[in-house]
Amino acid sequence: MEGSQSAYSVRLEMFSGPLDLLLHLIKKNEVDIYDIPIAEITEQYLEYLDFLKKVNLEVVGEYMSMAAELGYIKSRMLLPRIKDEDEEEEQDPREELVRRLLEYEKYRDAAAELGTMEILGKDVFPAGYDHREMFGEPAEETEFVKFDLWTLVDTFSRIYSDRKKSETEDIFLSSQTYTVEERKNQLIEVMRREKEAFFEDLFEGDKNRMKLVVTFISILELLKDGILDIFQPTFKEPIKIILKQ
Amino acid sequence: MNNRNPLINIIECLIFVSQAPLTIQEISDFLKDFDKKEISDALSELEEQWSGMGRSFVLSSIAGGYQFRTRPEYSEYITEFNKEIKKFRLSKAALEVLAIVAYKQPVTKIEVEKIRGVDCSSSVSMLLEKRFVEIAGRKEVPGKPFLYRTTNLFLETFGLKNLKDLPTVKEIEKIKEDIEEPG
Repeated sequence: MEGSQSAYSVRLEMFSGPLDLLLHLIKKNEVDIYDIPIAEITEQYLEYLDFLKKVNLEVVGEYMSMAAELGYIKSRMLLPRIKDEDEEEEQDPREELVRRLLEYEKYRDAAAELGTMEILGKDVFPAGYDHREMFGEPAEETEFVKFDLWTLVDTFSRIYSDRKKSETEDIFLSSQTYTVEERKNQLIEVMRREKEAFFEDLFEGDKNRMKLVVTFISILELLKDGILDIFQPTFKEPIKIILKQ
Repeated sequence: MNNRNPLINIIECLIFVSQAPLTIQEISDFLKDFDKKEISDALSELEEQWSGMGRSFVLSSIAGGYQFRTRPEYSEYITEFNKEIKKFRLSKAALEVLAIVAYKQPVTKIEVEKIRGVDCSSSVSMLLEKRFVEIAGRKEVPGKPFLYRTTNLFLETFGLKNLKDLPTVKEIEKIKEDIEEPG
């Protein structure tokens, strides 16, 4: 491979994954996708992998399994083909790979097409355009935050602390115990009736913190069981719970 | 301009002050004296009038609604003038994930990964966070994985009327026919 470090980094950005790289190699070598010269392409693929190992270890893993797959296909190409008695035609070991490449290529091209659209906030703007309102904070500051989960936790802790202020703590007075199983069944009943409810409203009857916690756990379990579903129409709107069919 | 259809002017001012693309439904819910046909005709005429005027902005049909948007050739002036605007940037990988979700929705992460041949977790979380995709429920298979679909914000951002308006690429035509039936 020729070129400087900077040329390499351009090339790194060029491929979004092993299939993208393979398509590039097929195009560069001007070979027929239905008749890929596996030995040559594999060799070039491995060359690129070697280079990846030198410059960027993080993404190498993504390319490794394809290297193994290519090696496997290559070895099968070398073996004399055994005709299956049931099958009229012998199967080309490359067939599955070709199918995947073609499938992937469609979406890769569609993605490229999407990238050329007139994009809001980049190419076109409505009146009074407010970037922050439209897209929130820049992504790099909030990576891996699942907004729905955080809003859920925030909402619950607000309900929890509000209740503490407004209601008397009757935890010592109550001899009753609250089980999650019981509460789950109650919630299912409520949801069968209501079909959908604001997350907050499900805590309405809970007079003490113990009950709040039981309700919260019950909702989480019902979500996990796939009985309830959770939605937040937009960032600013309250969380809704719905019953799944 | 003086003997312009008053309905056109009313609709025009409603769109002008609206924060998000204004839909025909919203307009007809408000203007109860006019039927949907009159309103949609007025909208088409309005769209044509604006595009023919050679102004710096046009009336665009976006995400099932209408919105005034600047023409792309002036984007540099706008981003220079308004420093708040961060350059829109999606990686090639993220754009691919978004395209797969858009054409195949509702779709699970595993299905997306099968097509791309690599782990897509970080792209999916990023697209969720940017609200270009959302959870559409769970698939009734072992493990009940989440199903993802694109959002209205996705249509708004990419200037699409609806999902049928997605760019046509090769055999994707066929896939698009499949998504017309809401599943």
